[in-house]
Amino acid sequence: MVKINEDIIKAGLEVLNSHKDSKLITHLNSCVHCGLCAKTCLYYLTSNDKRFIPARKVELVSAIYRRYFTFIGKTMPGLTNARKLDDDIIAEMIDLLYGACVMCGRCVKHCSIGVDIEYVVRKGREMLAKMGYVPESLQSTVKAALETGNNMAISYEDFTDTIEWMEEELQDDCDDPDARIPLNEHGKNVLYTLNPREPKFFPLSISAMAKIFYAAKESWTLSTYMYDVTNYAYFSSHPAEAKTIAQRIYDETDKLKAKRLVLAECGHGVRANRWEAPNYIEKEFPFDVITSVEIIAEYIKEGRIKPNKEIITEKTTLHDPCNLVRNAGVIDDQRYILKNCVKDFVEMVPYGTDNFCCGGGGGQLTMSEYNDRRLSIAEIKAEQIRKTGASIVVSPCHNCIDQLSQINVTYKLNVKIKTLAEIVADTLLVENMLNNNK
Amino acid sequence: MEWYFWVAITSLGICFAGYIYHFLKLINLGSPKDYSKKSGSTKSGIIYSFTHAMNPVNKESAFLNLPTYISGVIYHLGTFLAIILFFVLFFTTNINELISLLLAAFLLLSTLCGAGMLIKRITDKKLRHLSNPDDYISNILVTLFHLGSGTVLFIPDVYPVYMVIASLLLLYIPLGKLKHVIYFFAARYHIGYFYGWRSVWPTAKSK
Ligand code: SF4
Ligand code: SF4
Repeated sequence: MVKINEDIIKAGLEVLNSHKDSKLITHLNSCVHCGLCAKTCLYYLTSNDKRFIPARKVELVSAIYRRYFTFIGKTMPGLTNARKLDDDIIAEMIDLLYGACVMCGRCVKHCSIGVDIEYVVRKGREMLAKMGYVPESLQSTVKAALETGNNMAISYEDFTDTIEWMEEELQDDCDDPDARIPLNEHGKNVLYTLNPREPKFFPLSISAMAKIFYAAKESWTLSTYMYDVTNYAYFSSHPAEAKTIAQRIYDETDKLKAKRLVLAECGHGVRANRWEAPNYIEKEFPFDVITSVEIIAEYIKEGRIKPNKEIITEKTTLHDPCNLVRNAGVIDDQRYILKNCVKDFVEMVPYGTDNFCCGGGGGQLTMSEYNDRRLSIAEIKAEQIRKTGASIVVSPCHNCIDQLSQINVTYKLNVKIKTLAEIVADTLLVENMLNNNK
Repeated sequence: MEWYFWVAITSLGICFAGYIYHFLKLINLGSPKDYSKKSGSTKSGIIYSFTHAMNPVNKESAFLNLPTYISGVIYHLGTFLAIILFFVLFFTTNINELISLLLAAFLLLSTLCGAGMLIKRITDKKLRHLSNPDDYISNILVTLFHLGSGTVLFIPDVYPVYMVIASLLLLYIPLGKLKHVIYFFAARYHIGYFYGWRSVWPTAKSK
């Protein structure tokens, strides 16, 4: 770790001193140290470690704020435990803000005051990012996105080969040699994005979504230049890097003159592109930004696709990605879809805006140094799944799918893990689609 | 007028000025400018934030910690009552005996709640870890204020002591955690605004 110096301190404090509005000072001044948020956080619940209480994470940032920006903190730091920005607190911040928070926001909803703990954690991460202390593992993912256009550094050739292969799959699946995965086409209704995990590890989810578009007779395209829905700089909380990534997807949608930017199944991708991107680039988007979950629900409601719910009879449950539900307000559409696609749907307890993170949020899946912690906090999700008795777990997020797959092995759950698009695609019958597309 | 009245009035003025400072700072900085397309209603989100979202049934911090939550509610009600009484006592000490009795009983209860919370802060490892001197001072000052308010109703001789306690509390309020009297409202406003903008609140059918 680079030793702290005056310039680094200045860069860190700048984050606390640049107020665009009253939100930051509000949340830095509000915590009353009641400790009642402890049991809302999966880190504390699974470890009983007092360092992991959400308020403790807020305290790291607000103690620095008090030390440099309040009268009492400057004159009597001991009174409010106002702390200097030094190597010790930085080490603690890295460990707790990057390594012990999935940025799920569960604690926020339940805080007795209303402190936006997750927002303060993000501000703390922003300080660390500005000071150059983003964990290398996370930063390398951001770097790959910045340098290659996608966080897995997939080459153009590999990507287009995969798409060609998936197009063949689609044609087989739909029994139609003319079924296509359009690339870089202008003036379409939908520009669809992907989580790079799809072309890299789960290409069948691409053909699944293509099958849905095919069945709905959607006018759509993928871009070979900018298809990555993720923005890991949202997790590292480096605003300039997050802006660069957000700007690219904006520019591509604008260039292709698509009416709607449809975000793939990726919780943080939805949050980063639908809600944070316009603020990163300080511009209102002239096109609609919606999630694949919403568009699929729309197709079913409008009768554009007709899932057959007799096909999937196994008990199915849903894992809610925190960033899609608690932080983006997409709560009911995934349930509507599943109720139309599977025979036996069961909720986890708790669910919806009270759900527990799978443990893979906040960039944890990229930070291998915290792997053990990540899998131990997943105990809660494993128990939730076990209690439903379901044999299929659906989640509209590829990061969650990755974590759930690891939970499945670690906790011996013996369940199938599926994306929502895969479930929907499995319930679309070829005869119906052919009639539809005639 | 007695010296302790002057001390109390001066402290009240300083406290008020401190509050105005924090309040104006918040107003000046204003609400966030959000460039994303709103999908819900900030107004409904803010209303929900101050109403349903505060319902103990919807808050794990409340229903998982019911005794602490109830103590907290009584303690805060006691504080409001003590503040009202402070202003009333400026003008008259002549309060109906039954009312005095009821007030004193409630203030005694809220004093016990305050003391209980202090003991918990000292003995609970998790809470002790979170606490700083400000947390203890704030609790002690407010609890003494409750005790003083209840006592002065029946023992007028403690009036000067009561006024000194009230003055210390007033001077301390804008400095430490007690300024959450203002920031609580700002925090609930901001999360209501945030969740309302994104249509997370008011909560839809799904929990
Ligand atoms: S519940 Fe809220 S106010 Fe209480 S300690 Fe936690 S963050 Fe602070
Ligand atoms: S955001 Fe989630 S992981 Fe982070 S402190 Fe809150 S509950 Fe814990």
